[in-house]
Amino acid sequence: MRNKENKPHFDTGEFLKKVILPGTVILILILLFWGDNKPAIPDPVPLNAEWYTPETARGEILVNTVMPGNCFICHSVQVPDQNVIRPQFAHPTVKLDHGVNDRCYNCHHIYDRDNLAGDGETKIKFATPEKLCARCHGIIVRDWKEGTHGLRQGGWLVKDGATPINFTCTECHDPHSPKFKYKIAAPAPTWPEKTLRQARHSDDDPKSAYLTESIQERF
Amino acid sequence: MSTEEQKDLELKNAEKPEPAISRRYFLAGAACVSAATAVSLSPLLNAEEVPSTDDFIQKHYKQLSDEDKKEIFAKLEARIDKQYGVTATISDPQPIEGVEFAYVLNLGRCIGCRKCVYACMEENNQSRSPQKQYIRVLKMKQGTVNLETSSHDYPEKEASSEDHFYMPVACQQCREPKCIEVCPVKATWKEKDGIVVVDYNWCIGCRYCEAACPYHARRFNFAKPQIPTEDLNPDMGYLSNRPRYMGVMEKCTFCLHKTRRGEYPACMEVCPTGSRKFGNLRDPKSEVRKIIEQERVFVLKQEAGTLPKFYYTFAK
Repeated sequence: MRNKENKPHFDTGEFLKKVILPGTVILILILLFWGDNKPAIPDPVPLNAEWYTPETARGEILVNTVMPGNCFICHSVQVPDQNVIRPQFAHPTVKLDHGVNDRCYNCHHIYDRDNLAGDGETKIKFATPEKLCARCHGIIVRDWKEGTHGLRQGGWLVKDGATPINFTCTECHDPHSPKFKYKIAAPAPTWPEKTLRQARHSDDDPKSAYLTESIQERF
Repeated sequence: MSTEEQKDLELKNAEKPEPAISRRYFLAGAACVSAATAVSLSPLLNAEEVPSTDDFIQKHYKQLSDEDKKEIFAKLEARIDKQYGVTATISDPQPIEGVEFAYVLNLGRCIGCRKCVYACMEENNQSRSPQKQYIRVLKMKQGTVNLETSSHDYPEKEASSEDHFYMPVACQQCREPKCIEVCPVKATWKEKDGIVVVDYNWCIGCRYCEAACPYHARRFNFAKPQIPTEDLNPDMGYLSNRPRYMGVMEKCTFCLHKTRRGEYPACMEVCPTGSRKFGNLRDPKSEVRKIIEQERVFVLKQEAGTLPKFYYTFAK
């Protein structure tokens, strides 16, 4: 029981409990919330139009385009060689990289520069390259005709007036080197680190060895 | 001290009990508490987006009548005009009868150029700063589909690498969406054509759906979304690409303002290699239906039981 006679006694414990403690709490709160502690958000920058403009995979590569001029100036003089592999000096931009199909006259008509080679002596117009491609890639051309292969624009619902826009083979693939060589790539996301999935565990990272090992064992 | 005196003292104490807390301490404490409350609430003074009374009493999207919608759209258009100086049209196309949207992505063709990511940003008025993107393109080593060791922040020079393949992942528009199950206020739901949408005015920003999604397809606006005026797409849908508020969730909606008019989504039209295919799953003549019938397709994280309508294939 406390002694009531010593009333003006200064109680340190009480002082600590009722003044210092709330004071510290307030100080901490002020330190936490005072001032302009909004994270610095940079001003928005418009996107580069190149990153969202639709174009086909061949849109930017124009090296292997049609040769200008009259082909017969050379080709009437020269006797065509059925087995010619490497394009001649007049076609410096043509680099043939089409797998086993490495003969010029497999696709080009041997006597007619303005046409492509069909079955036998028949000719295929340059405007319909899919007929030529179909001679080897029949299944893909079938898919393309059904719309399941290749880029398509316009709309999924065929309404009056609105028709889907299809592209022919050579609008996306370079016939001399059909593998995509599309060069326009857009940059990586710039999200906050916290929400960005960093490539910390690359396949070569020893930290992720257990993942790749277990997969190799499974197969 | 005799027992009598002691009794006397006890009686005195009982008559005049010492207060548990004195007036001085009470005032000091009250001042401390109110100061602390004021300080801790002071960030509210700088709140960037305070909803108006109309916004506050606005009903859920499904309870809005056509007249309500007209009024709300006009209000939003006026607000966009004031903020950006752009005359936007907010439309609200309804699901088409007999249409269920599906997506097919050919991983054998994707070169990881990320054009879909930026076409999506442009079409859907996503915040440029801080950046929001619906699509993540995961770069993976050939031979495995290992999401653990994939990366989506590879630099652009690592695109179209021979040793890797690229898997763009966005909202899978699941048939059993886990995100709508967890929403405590039903601010997100599945439409009749299978698109999962968010009512940005009803969302309370609890981010349960973000946590529930196995594909990390939802994005939260921690800060006020910022879009440059010249980049704003004026063709807006109420449930899709109108400007979002701070503190709400957003997600891919298959560009419903476009696709419900019969157009293709932005990511599909921009793909230079034609890896992406979009269409009506219920139409036997549609591209997606033909691919699903003819090719071997798979869905991401099948074991999650979400039954996605976003299919991947490794077709020729």
